[in-house]
Amino acid sequence: MQSDTPIILDWFSQFGVSQESIRQALAAATQHGADDAELYFEHSSHTSVGLSDRAVNRAHTGIDLGVGIRVVVGDQVGYAYTEDLDPRSMEAAARTAASVAQSSQPRAPVQVTLGRTANHYPVSRYWSDVDLAARVPLIQQWEERAFAADPRVTRVQCSFADTDKRVLIARADGLIVGDYRPMTRGFVTCTVEDGGVTETGADSLAARADLDFYNPDRQHRMVDSAVSRALRSLDAGSPPAGEMTVVLAAGSSGILLHEAIGHGMEADFNRKNISIYADKVNHRIANPHVTVVDDATLPGARGSLNVDDEGSPTERTVLVEGGVLKSFLHDRISARHYGLESTGSGRRESFRHPILPRMRSTYMESGPHDPQEIIASVKHGLYCETFSNGQVQIGAGDFAFYVRHGYLIEDGKLTQPVKDVNLIGNGPKVLETIDMVGNDMKVDEGGWTCGKEGQGVPVSQGMPTVRVGHLSVGGGRA
Amino acid sequence: MSESSLEFAERVVALCARLGATESSAAVNRSSHIQIIRRDGQVEQATEATTQSLSITVLVDDCYSSASTSDLRPEAVEGFVAKSIDAARYLEPDEARRHPDAALCGRGVTQEALEQDDPCWASRSATDRNQQAEALEASLSAITDERQISSSVYIADGRSEVSQVLSNGFAGVNQGAWFALGGERTIQDGERRPEAGAHFGARYLADLPNPETLAQTVAERVEERVGAGPIDSGKYPLVLSARAAGRILGILGGPLSGASLHQRRSCLADQEGEAIGSSVFTLIDDPTIPRGLGSRPWDGDALIAKPLTLVDQGVLQNYYIGVYHSRKLDRAPTTGGRSNWVIPPGDTPWEEAASAWPRAIRVTGFLGGNSNAASGDFSFGVLGQLLEHGKPTQSLCEMNISGNVRTLFHKLVGVGDDPWTWSPVRSPTLLFEDVQFSGL
Repeated sequence: MQSDTPIILDWFSQFGVSQESIRQALAAATQHGADDAELYFEHSSHTSVGLSDRAVNRAHTGIDLGVGIRVVVGDQVGYAYTEDLDPRSMEAAARTAASVAQSSQPRAPVQVTLGRTANHYPVSRYWSDVDLAARVPLIQQWEERAFAADPRVTRVQCSFADTDKRVLIARADGLIVGDYRPMTRGFVTCTVEDGGVTETGADSLAARADLDFYNPDRQHRMVDSAVSRALRSLDAGSPPAGEMTVVLAAGSSGILLHEAIGHGMEADFNRKNISIYADKVNHRIANPHVTVVDDATLPGARGSLNVDDEGSPTERTVLVEGGVLKSFLHDRISARHYGLESTGSGRRESFRHPILPRMRSTYMESGPHDPQEIIASVKHGLYCETFSNGQVQIGAGDFAFYVRHGYLIEDGKLTQPVKDVNLIGNGPKVLETIDMVGNDMKVDEGGWTCGKEGQGVPVSQGMPTVRVGHLSVGGGRA
Repeated sequence: MSESSLEFAERVVALCARLGATESSAAVNRSSHIQIIRRDGQVEQATEATTQSLSITVLVDDCYSSASTSDLRPEAVEGFVAKSIDAARYLEPDEARRHPDAALCGRGVTQEALEQDDPCWASRSATDRNQQAEALEASLSAITDERQISSSVYIADGRSEVSQVLSNGFAGVNQGAWFALGGERTIQDGERRPEAGAHFGARYLADLPNPETLAQTVAERVEERVGAGPIDSGKYPLVLSARAAGRILGILGGPLSGASLHQRRSCLADQEGEAIGSSVFTLIDDPTIPRGLGSRPWDGDALIAKPLTLVDQGVLQNYYIGVYHSRKLDRAPTTGGRSNWVIPPGDTPWEEAASAWPRAIRVTGFLGGNSNAASGDFSFGVLGQLLEHGKPTQSLCEMNISGNVRTLFHKLVGVGDDPWTWSPVRSPTLLFEDVQFSGL
């Protein structure tokens, strides 16, 4: 399987797209001049099946087809899209997008070049070649394993979803590049009951991969984790309220990076001067143990991309190195603004959405500390293990993330389970207090989605075990 | 003459039957929207699109599948329907998916009475929109702030037409326009660059606030962020601003849903007729409010839209029970999803009520947080102000509010006289006693 541009171009020809129709639409988009412009064609084929009440009893199939057309003049963007790939519809959308441009001189046409990309998510077969019937036994096995795990499991719901997405990006500078982007996500949620108490637990798996991703070990880990989270919640309470030392477990606690640092590094906020990190490049913003990376090249990761949504090659971008801020995440607008190359971070939810600089797979590299040593170092604090969501205020730097499950730390040991608590802090202040970094970095395989300006894009996140000096814990006890 | 959306939906339902569906539904959505964002004196982004999609559900011998597509080429539609019907054949039957009795379906309120479709939308020109955006920006700029780093305003509007057909005989078309505007300002405040904004939505253009009101609101909200920091953790009275109330009220949505009841993960299960709040707590779901942003003539099951009292003077009256879960739970359906949420306003300004408290926290915004429908626990990051005898004395951030849905609404002691009408959650300011906050 390849993501070569000619194959993708051929795919879109079934919808009437040709190099000639692309040329015409680009000419309409740049008729009043433009610093940049592109057409973003997308075809997604989605399938999901769901299990509840001990039966695989629902399925959904979906097709999304269309083109988004963007015209850029300086920092100004004109954007339009259409689901109709007929040349006349595309040209009409292109003229609408061109409304931000005022020049009497059209942009000169250029020679077309077909781009090649790396392949960070090779697959042996497309999801459209997998029978629906092949998906059904998977979620039946998940349910069976969950019920068998503990008699207190009273309800199990499972779902399995996959997508074949093909994108074709045609830029005004003549580049045409295509990408095949698989995605799959499995999800299990369990309800447990004991002594009149009801709790739930969930876990998910997600990747840019094919069916082979679902090896037995992964599936077992997901189901067992969902059950154990639910059972642990039966005994869990609320931690005390107020500031305390927090230890974040390796893996999905990368949500702290995502909120505390990642969004603030997205260069649109910085070129507008509204990020708290806007004037911090080459300044120390964290402990020397802290190196943070946003990487689009992790094999099969949910956040990986061969090429970004404006046709730029992707990369491993070092955001913070040894505590020093090294780079923002750039799309082509911000790269031009700063006189730099794009970091391949221009992303969008779909052809209906304009491009924004976004994270891909964000993680902190391993540090020197043993994870057990980190826990043992805390007299009184909170150990956070699983998370659901977070949010940040870009300018103020305040951020929050929600901890589903964790433990109190008392005298260096994990003691009482806790659940459902929001943690809040200020990004720059918190970065200064990360004083221990574990040697156990792990990228989480869960189905994370990042939201920004109404757009959701798939991301990954990772973290070693770290100690944070203090965060405000939204506990229920005074 | 081209085929209407309704005719298209009817043709798709007929196609479903021809290809083997025993029941089916089709919804055709055609919509347009336009948005202009201005920042620092120029257009930052202009977006315009007209879009269409088709969604179907099919039952094949009680086996259920659904499908959606934006590829409406005539040659693609038959294959799309066939694929969905084929998908259903792999599944196990679920009789609860059958359509409701046709007698339960239909339009509860006339299109005219709902006042969803402002005729002004069709006559709006690009010049009108640009002038509106420029007027907003001029008003915000007129309130000068030397601390300002950047500011932006936006206007947006759109119109949609949804044609829905069920094989039980229901057919209907619902049309509606919407308008929105807002603004944001970022300022330098020491090392921090706090941003604040205001956003308004309405069904009729004339119902939106004028540019001066928007600018004044943005400026006030920016001032609420200056010098913000946390205060000591503890229990404080909570003054929940009308604009922000939807986030806290939203924690009721999960436990009141039929899905949560059916999956036995609702902390409010079996509480019908029981007090889940104080006597001042009344909450109504009303899809029939003229010009309401959440108003609708029928719900997702095509059930006739009508007001539903969820909580009356603290006593839980109803859950959200759609057709599917009504069968799973063996009880009558109410409606499957939220429309407008209404908390009847009181007759006392919140400032007057709050003045009785030596110290209280007024929450004007949220940052992160979540809730657990099974246990009722919630925890949210908050932004706001410390009030002393009703007067703001300090801006607050880096604080959380925590509690449990089963106890929170028993602490509701008052409602303001200031219902927020620019969103589907129409709540006045709410006043609670004894709420847990965490800070220092």
